[in-house]
Amino acid sequence: MLQKLLAIIRKEFLILLRDKIGLLILFAMPITLILVMTLIQDSAFKTINEKGIPIVFVNNDHDTLGNTILNGLKSSDFCQVSTSKEGKDFTITSAQKAVANGEFLIGIVIPKGASNKIRNNVSELVTETMSLNEASSVKKEVVDITLIIDPVAKNSFVSTITSNLHEFIAAVKTQMMFQSFSDQIAEILPEGSKKPTKAYEKTDIIHYKEIYGSALIGKDVPTSTQHNVPAWTIFGMFFIVILVVGNIIKEKKEGSAFRLKTLPTSYLTMMNGKIIVYVIVCMIQFFIMIAVGVFVLPLLGLPALNLGHHLEAILVLAFFTALAATGFGVLIGTLANSEQQGAILGSLLVLLLSAIGGILVPTYVMPEIMRKISMMSPLNWSLSGFYQIILRGADLSGITFNCTLLVLFFIITVFLSSTINKIRSKS
Amino acid sequence: MSLQNSIEISHLSKTFKGNLDPSVNDVSLTIKENEIFGLLGPNGAGKTTIISILCGIVKSDQGKVLLNGVDLANGNESIKKFIGVVPQDIALYPSLTAKENLAFYGAMYGIDKKTVNERATIWLEKLGLTKAANKKVESFSGGMKRRVNLIASLLHEPKILFLDEPTVGVDVQSRNVIIDLLKEINQNGTTIIYTSHHLEEAQDLCTQIAIIDYGRILAQGSPQELIDNVEKATNLEDVFLHLTKRKLRD
Repeated sequence: MLQKLLAIIRKEFLILLRDKIGLLILFAMPITLILVMTLIQDSAFKTINEKGIPIVFVNNDHDTLGNTILNGLKSSDFCQVSTSKEGKDFTITSAQKAVANGEFLIGIVIPKGASNKIRNNVSELVTETMSLNEASSVKKEVVDITLIIDPVAKNSFVSTITSNLHEFIAAVKTQMMFQSFSDQIAEILPEGSKKPTKAYEKTDIIHYKEIYGSALIGKDVPTSTQHNVPAWTIFGMFFIVILVVGNIIKEKKEGSAFRLKTLPTSYLTMMNGKIIVYVIVCMIQFFIMIAVGVFVLPLLGLPALNLGHHLEAILVLAFFTALAATGFGVLIGTLANSEQQGAILGSLLVLLLSAIGGILVPTYVMPEIMRKISMMSPLNWSLSGFYQIILRGADLSGITFNCTLLVLFFIITVFLSSTINKIRSKS
Repeated sequence: MSLQNSIEISHLSKTFKGNLDPSVNDVSLTIKENEIFGLLGPNGAGKTTIISILCGIVKSDQGKVLLNGVDLANGNESIKKFIGVVPQDIALYPSLTAKENLAFYGAMYGIDKKTVNERATIWLEKLGLTKAANKKVESFSGGMKRRVNLIASLLHEPKILFLDEPTVGVDVQSRNVIIDLLKEINQNGTTIIYTSHHLEEAQDLCTQIAIIDYGRILAQGSPQELIDNVEKATNLEDVFLHLTKRKLRD
């Protein structure tokens, strides 16, 4: 049994090593995809993650409101604020043009005298309150803050900006109200009495404390490298389907499959030999891709792949991914009747499963329905497992479910292949 | 000493899915030990189907097959150890060398590496392939491929050897070498079941012949008996045309 298995493994390796084009597809294609896709998507990922949403800010107010909003936005990590270009302050016209050109996703214009208008309104309101007079019939002045929005800007970005603006404006109004009340109270107090202290800052007693559900390594949303390296590695591993299919179909076409059926060696032994070889190839592929992520990408100015603290979990997940990919190849090879049919069916299915599995576009930017559908793709089981390890610091226990799904997928594909082969032999 | 039955076939039938007519229709045959038995017939007569059933690749719908006394229905795996099959197509891996192919097939029969190597060297020499032993099969001529194809089925020294048109598309030199080799292994005790379109070759090689058409056996006997039974026949081709008529086949 072992002798037969070793002979099959040797034969498969020799055939594989002599298939230069197949090897090129297997290794060069995913490396190229990792490099190209990471470079292309790097700025898009940075927009959301590192640099934040690009915002152009026109501060015509130059007073409390404008300055508070500007400083508030600058100190936040969700946006990157620009007020000038090439030494010139943005105007409403130049800001509009910059947004139209796609340089910024959102523009904010604070009108001239906005702080004064709010101050006057607040003061009038406080005076009315203190004198117990009826509400003034004088029309209040309105402050119009203009938002210039790029049509491609996501609604969630716009909502984030507007809610932050509301927060800053509310804070400015409260501060002004506090100031006005203090001033008016000071006026009505008898001479010589102690004046009220302006202790507005002391009201800032509510703070947020961020605690993550697991030991966070990066941010919960991956960088271009953290997404693309595992994603295209998984894609490359599943693309082994083309080689497995080619191998199985060639055996059928060249007549070897006929002779193999006459040998005292079972179908499962034959398949096990193939599976062992292709799983080893997948693992070699995996190590090369990961090495590209860790060592090559930084040379191109991209972030290096951070593998987290649980390498054993990564290896286990990679092994189960290799099993699932090989099982899938064996099934397609068994189903297909010609090399062309197998290649088209195999590559289309891998592309489809990649698309819905979040390889091409991460699942967290997909609509809800697609996020649910993505859970049916074995590539997603693997990718979400890698996210668990490299983003959320999960260990082996954190990827048990992903590994179980991948193993079940492998068992089902091999069982189906064996059953289809038996049925065809009998007919 | 009377010879044992090597193969006993009784009432064998097979109709493939989607076909109305049976490919094998109630065939019964007995092949004695050490015979060279020729299965002759036009294209689509059912020769390859019978061989495929006897090798355990295709399952029959009806009938019983005994190979060296073992029922094919029960002992498919044990039968595979003492039969050799030379398929009509070249069943070799083109990117492997002749020796690598033989080493693989030898191992599949459970033969140890040393024995496989020794036997492969002997057969390669006998068939004039020593110089080409370490060359890839894809670089071989049709005749060379046929010869390696044959050796791959001989490594485990089978008791019964099935050959499906082993000399198709080869030159006279290769054909003569193959035929001589078949005679030699038959003399060493291997029963041979052989299909061919070369009637002259079959007449020269076979001790017994069955002519089949439309899945049925039309006649059976030694080549001379078959010739004697047909009026004015001088060779096997006359018998063949007399029995199968001149109508073209698909």
